[in-house]
Formats: sequence, C-alpha cells, structure tokens
Amino acid sequence: MSAPIHHETAEELARSVREGSRSAGEIARAFLARTGKTSERLGTYLHLDPEAILAQAARVDERKAKGETLGPLAGVPVAIKDNICIRGVPTTCGSLILERYRPPYDAHVIQRLRAADAVLFGKTNCDEFAMGSSNENSAYKPVRNPWDLERVPGGSSGGSAATVAAREAPLALGSDTGGSVRQPAAFCGVVGLKPTYGSVSRYGLVAFASSLDQIGPLARGARDAALLYDAISGRDECDMTSRPEAKAVDLDEIERGVKGLTIGIPSALLSEGLDPEIRASLDAVRAELKRLGAGEAEVALPHAKHAIATYYLIAPAEASSNLARYDGVRYGLRAGNGDLKGMYEATRGLGFGREVTRRILLGTYALSAGYYDAYYLRAQKVRTLIRRDFTEAFAKADAILLPVTPTPPFKLGEKADDPLAMYLNDIYSIPASLAGVPAVSFPAGFTKSGLPIGLQLVGKPFDETTILRIARTWEKASDDAWRAPAIAEEVA
Amino acid sequence: MPIDVGTVRKIAALARLRVAPEDEERYVRELVAILAYVEQLQELDVEGIEPTSTVVAGEPPPLRPDEEKPSDIHEDALGQAPDREGDYFRVPRVV
Repeated sequence: MSAPIHHETAEELARSVREGSRSAGEIARAFLARTGKTSERLGTYLHLDPEAILAQAARVDERKAKGETLGPLAGVPVAIKDNICIRGVPTTCGSLILERYRPPYDAHVIQRLRAADAVLFGKTNCDEFAMGSSNENSAYKPVRNPWDLERVPGGSSGGSAATVAAREAPLALGSDTGGSVRQPAAFCGVVGLKPTYGSVSRYGLVAFASSLDQIGPLARGARDAALLYDAISGRDECDMTSRPEAKAVDLDEIERGVKGLTIGIPSALLSEGLDPEIRASLDAVRAELKRLGAGEAEVALPHAKHAIATYYLIAPAEASSNLARYDGVRYGLRAGNGDLKGMYEATRGLGFGREVTRRILLGTYALSAGYYDAYYLRAQKVRTLIRRDFTEAFAKADAILLPVTPTPPFKLGEKADDPLAMYLNDIYSIPASLAGVPAVSFPAGFTKSGLPIGLQLVGKPFDETTILRIARTWEKASDDAWRAPAIAEEVA
Repeated sequence: MPIDVGTVRKIAALARLRVAPEDEERYVRELVAILAYVEQLQELDVEGIEPTSTVVAGEPPPLRPDEEKPSDIHEDALGQAPDREGDYFRVPRVV
C-alpha cells in the first residue's frame, strides 16, 4: 500500500500527475482535507480559498487531458507566505495596515510557479512585515509549533514552516532577511533554504530590508527544496539585484555524497550559550559526514559575533525607509481626520504593531542627522568585515556547518516582552544574511523531549548545490529526518 | 545623546508615526537596551574599510529594452484607494 497523499514528496506528487496516475484535483482535495483538520489549531493560514485552489488544479488536469506537457511542479500545492503578492488575493504581510490590500500583480516567483503548473495554496501567517523570530508579531493570530502547540514555530515564516511540517502542504515559500526561512524550518523540523542574494527575484516580495531580503523554499526534504528552488530562481528583469549567475540545482548532483568535500567548523562560535543537545546533534552530524568521507577544516569567522549588532542597525534602517510607503493614500488602512500629516501619523500609529513600530523608530534614529556615521555607516563597514570572513573561510572549506538557533523552540510568550533577548536568538542565522551567501537549515534529530533540532550549512555564493548535497547525504543516512509530528498522523 | 521620551517623540515625528503616550516609556527602555548592545561596534577598527550597501558584485545586468507594454491594472490599483475621486487618490486638504 502506498503512503497517504499528504506523506508523499512533492517530487512524487508531480511525477504522478505528469504520468496520469493521479489528478491534481485529487491531490488538492487531499491537502485541503488535511488543512481543514489542523490549520485552525496551528494558525497557519491568513487566507485559504478552496474554490480557487480546486479551480487551479482543474486547469492542470485539463492541460493533462489535452495531452500538453506539464511542468516540474504539476499539481503540487505550494503555500505562499503572506508577504508575497498574488494578483487579486489578499496580501496582508500579517499587518493591519494592509488588511484589505489585494495586489494588482503577481510576484515573479508566482509567475514562475504558475508556469511550473504548481497549485497556489493558501497565504501563510507570518510576523508582521516579516519582523520577528516567533510568529507572535502577526496582527491576526500566532502560529503554533506542530510538535508542541505550547511552543512557537519560529519566525517570521512560521506559517510556511508549520504547514509543511504538519503535512498541510508539501511545499511552501517563505522569505529570509536574517533567518526567517531557516529558523522556523529548524523549529518545525523541515528543510528551509535561503538562496544566495540575487538568485531569486524580489519583484512582488513586500520589501523589509532590501539588501538582505530573499525568497526561499520550505520542504520536507532536500530534493523537494531543490525542486522548488529551481522553479523560482533565475534572472528577472524586474529586479535590478537579480543575478545571471544564479544556477539551477542538479538533482543528480546532490546524490553524489560528501566524499572530497571539506566542511568548515567555526569552533569559536560554538561555545557560548549553545544548548547542549544542539551541540550534541552538531557533533553527531560531523561524525557521520566524516564517516561518509567528508574532510573537515577549522574556520574562523572572527566578526560573526558582531553580526546581530550589525544587522539590527542595517535592517531597521532599511525598513524605516521601505515602510514609509504605508501612508494611507493609495491602498491599505487610512485613519485620522484633519490634515495630511495627521492622517499619516494616525494611519501608521494604528496600522503598525509594536515590533514594526520599534524597528521604524530604531531605523529612523540610526539614519538621523548626527547618528548616521556612528551607527548606519559603521554597521555597513562591519558588514564588509563579516563578508571577508566568509571569503577567507571558503578558501578552506566548501561549506560551513553551524547551528540555526542557540536553543530549541521556546514557549509562546516566553520572550515576547524582551526584544533584545528575541534578537539574540538570531546569532547563527544572521551572518550568512549579511554576507549574502546561501544557507540551508535541515532536520538533525530531536531533543529528549521530542522537539526538532535544525542545523545549518552555509555555502559559497551561487553554490546552493553543495549545501543541498551535504544536507541530502545526511538525510539519507539519518533515521529520523522524515519523522512527522503527531498532528500530521491524525486520521483525516 | 541618551534616549529619553523627547527623543522618542522626535524620531516618531520624523517617521510620521503616532506613538501613544502610555507606550513612550517602554520604547525608551527598549531602544536604550538595543543601542547599548550595538555599542560593541564602536570597539572595532573600521579605518579604511569600504561600507557594504549591497552584496551584489560583478557587471550590472543589462538594461531591458525601453518598450511599451500593455498594463491592465488601472482600476485594480485605483480601486484600492481608501478615498478616490475619479482617477485621483483623494487626501486631506494640503494647501
């Protein structure tokens, strides 16, 4: 007997639709049934329109019936983070200020998914404007971790990670500015890829910090992550930072094992504050990769310890500028009576939540007269030092192995009143963001209490293939990389 | 300059953002803590280091041809307006 539909990989689902052994409609109905059972408890979706999903699936089936060649994601539901624009579909970014916004255009990644015959599933819940590490900053509702509903799923792409982990959707798109794909992937026990900056077009991704934002896939395994990455990456003339160097990941190449590859270990970063169970998991993965033929090299990354300070100046500065567009004039919320300035202030005061407000204030301060040099410009210079660290490390290693987070998933409310404590959680994910290099978070076992542990591989620019190859090698050797949370095993 | 309620009011005004009076003290506390943390960057020697404003390197991508393309979003875009008059977005009186 074959596995229930929701346990199959995206690759298997697409193949079955192309070969005609399954219809896209059958797959869509199966995932809608799963989602209907669990998404209210998990808080995974901000918008889900079953009719629109079934209509897209029906179009794929019609194309198949006419004998047309179907794309690589034929009939595969892909959940979309709610900061990615789909024409005519609500796109709130988890914010009240965009409560009624319906974009008049498709993001580049959405155009690509349509061309790949994917079925756009729901819009997933996220921290407001992708600012957060716990998904508690959604203006609508929190997301809960499928492995323990008392705990956070991570953020800001918490809905995307949780929905893939709970088998509500086989694939999802998130966005990663300082770890927002990788950290929730780690907390939910799935694979999350932050591509090289410039690999995936940002056209239609609502801007947070433009020099850092990158859309990335969430999937249950490395092959599916590669499949989705291949569907969305590549040059787009609508994004001036989109690069022609971006190249597809070859699914055969990631099966080649790790023999001949050198894994970089930044020992100095692995002591202070790292949870012992995550440390033990990292040591176990190291040992296994060595046994499978990988070499190891010590790498330094001496400036990585300053990454959080650097990031929390650069990202809020860019955000304060990007979010200036929400002024109540052309779309979204409008509040206040009286003059224009009063309308701006009332609209923004009412429409933005605490985290977004704090970051706008911080960014405005860092950019203001008299502080620009001391804060913003200095942070940009330290960013150069952090980039150089990676260039030097990659002279010795093909990829760098790191934790994703210093601790396993924490409880809802645990850090909600201490923003700095929340920011310190990003120590391992931010360096790759500042350097613009690709990084993948992959499942690497569980704590004794049954919470997922994720580890991270950071790669050379435009070398998504090598980090996915290492993650794939580990996944094949691991006995629990495919374990599903109990909530995904509930009989539909 | 140490951050106080006056600073928060000033930057909120610069950002065209109304902060409720009962929230001001909390933002002061949080910004003080964050700025104390980022103070560590002052210890680094960045003399002669170029700032990174983008990680994009290499040749800039070629410009696309400047061609007219059909656009059918006129009504979709105007239809989002909180207040409109015909083909215009309407705002409170400025002058």
